[in-house]
Amino acid sequence: MTGDLSQLAVEASGLGRRFGRAWALAHVDLAVPFGTSVWLRGANGAGKTTLLRMLASLSTPSRGRLSIAGLDAYREREAIRRQVALVSHALYLYPGLTARETLTLWLRLGSGVPDNSAIDELLADVGLTYAADRRVGGFSAGMRKRLALARAQVEAPRLLLLDEPFSSLDTAGCELVETWVRSFVAGGGTVILASHDHDRSLPLCETVVDLRDGQIVASGPGGESRAGELG
Amino acid sequence: MRVVWAILSKDLLLEWRERARTLSVILFAAVTLLLFSFALGPDVEALRAGSPGFLTLALLLSSTLALNESFRLEREDRALEGLVMRPVGATGLFYAKALANAILLALLGPLVVALAVVLYSLEVGPGQTVGLIGCWMLGAAGLAAPGTLYAAMTSRLKTQDVALPILLFPLVIPVLLGSVKAMDLVLFGDAMGQLPSWISLLVAFDVVYWTVCGVLFRFAVEEGE
Repeated sequence: MTGDLSQLAVEASGLGRRFGRAWALAHVDLAVPFGTSVWLRGANGAGKTTLLRMLASLSTPSRGRLSIAGLDAYREREAIRRQVALVSHALYLYPGLTARETLTLWLRLGSGVPDNSAIDELLADVGLTYAADRRVGGFSAGMRKRLALARAQVEAPRLLLLDEPFSSLDTAGCELVETWVRSFVAGGGTVILASHDHDRSLPLCETVVDLRDGQIVASGPGGESRAGELG
Repeated sequence: MRVVWAILSKDLLLEWRERARTLSVILFAAVTLLLFSFALGPDVEALRAGSPGFLTLALLLSSTLALNESFRLEREDRALEGLVMRPVGATGLFYAKALANAILLALLGPLVVALAVVLYSLEVGPGQTVGLIGCWMLGAAGLAAPGTLYAAMTSRLKTQDVALPILLFPLVIPVLLGSVKAMDLVLFGDAMGQLPSWISLLVAFDVVYWTVCGVLFRFAVEEGE
């Protein structure tokens, strides 16, 4: 996870996304440097997921300008996808594959070298060693989320997008996410997470961005100190 | 190539693990052949004469079932989106999915041809049997490429089961014609030496479909503006 830290991870201006006649995201200006974490806050339907999907290059903006790690979101999707990992509501898992086979597949699709010891390490990191050779179809929601987090790590991203990362997870799972986000940011990566979990997200993220009706209505500092101030 | 193999082997592994799905496609093809024999009654000559068409229609009808199923797994947890997110490239993804579908449909060939020989009292030697299976495989290849493209396009629709055959069947009429004619010549003799021309036609359509659909696939899997 190295790179030019002076470069912006995300640079958006006048960004909008329309579905039919409705604007899910009306107008977003956002500049996020590398080596930082951002908490996207907002009510249901505020545009958080739409924004994350556009940052992941899964959805094309209807208007505005967007670049990810200096790459144009309209013309350089494939290159952007080498830099970004998304863990969203859909976890992109196949019920018929085991946890180990899932990570092997994702490694083959990326670097092409399935390294068994690296897979064992990843499974241990997310607490799934005991279920490595069990099929995902028999996993609980929390186990599936843990495997999706391991899958995102396989992708070795520079920009990590997390949509409700704490949902379905037990306390240990939530702490796992927090540890991972902190070490990822310390390594120079950028995390943008959308969550309704105030208590976990505020101390975790350096910046808080409020979205309402598809627009950024406020932004400010987050982090441990801010969380302490607010009690 | 590495990416194609990774997705192809994943598809074949999942297909093997959910054998009930493959079995349902085989049974559907068998039932289709059986229904044609009931529809025509005990007229053995009519059954024999129509057998190239019945075989091709069994392939066509069972292919929609197989093609729909191939994208059901990709839809379940939006896994297709996950594949698109990887630096796989839509073209690699297309060839992996289309190859998996072609292999499944091709494997049906020997079973369905054997059943047709029994049901329609076909008198065929080893050479004709091989010829029939070869025609089936060329037909399967011609269906797999556009079928994979349309299955991906319709996979987000609630009406996929209906939309896929409506879109696919008109497009594959040349394959249908070529396959029926080639099987007919294999079964009942080729006095005028026309078989190579029909086989060439089938191969030509296969090449065109596999090329064009590979180019168009990204429009089927990427979300537009």
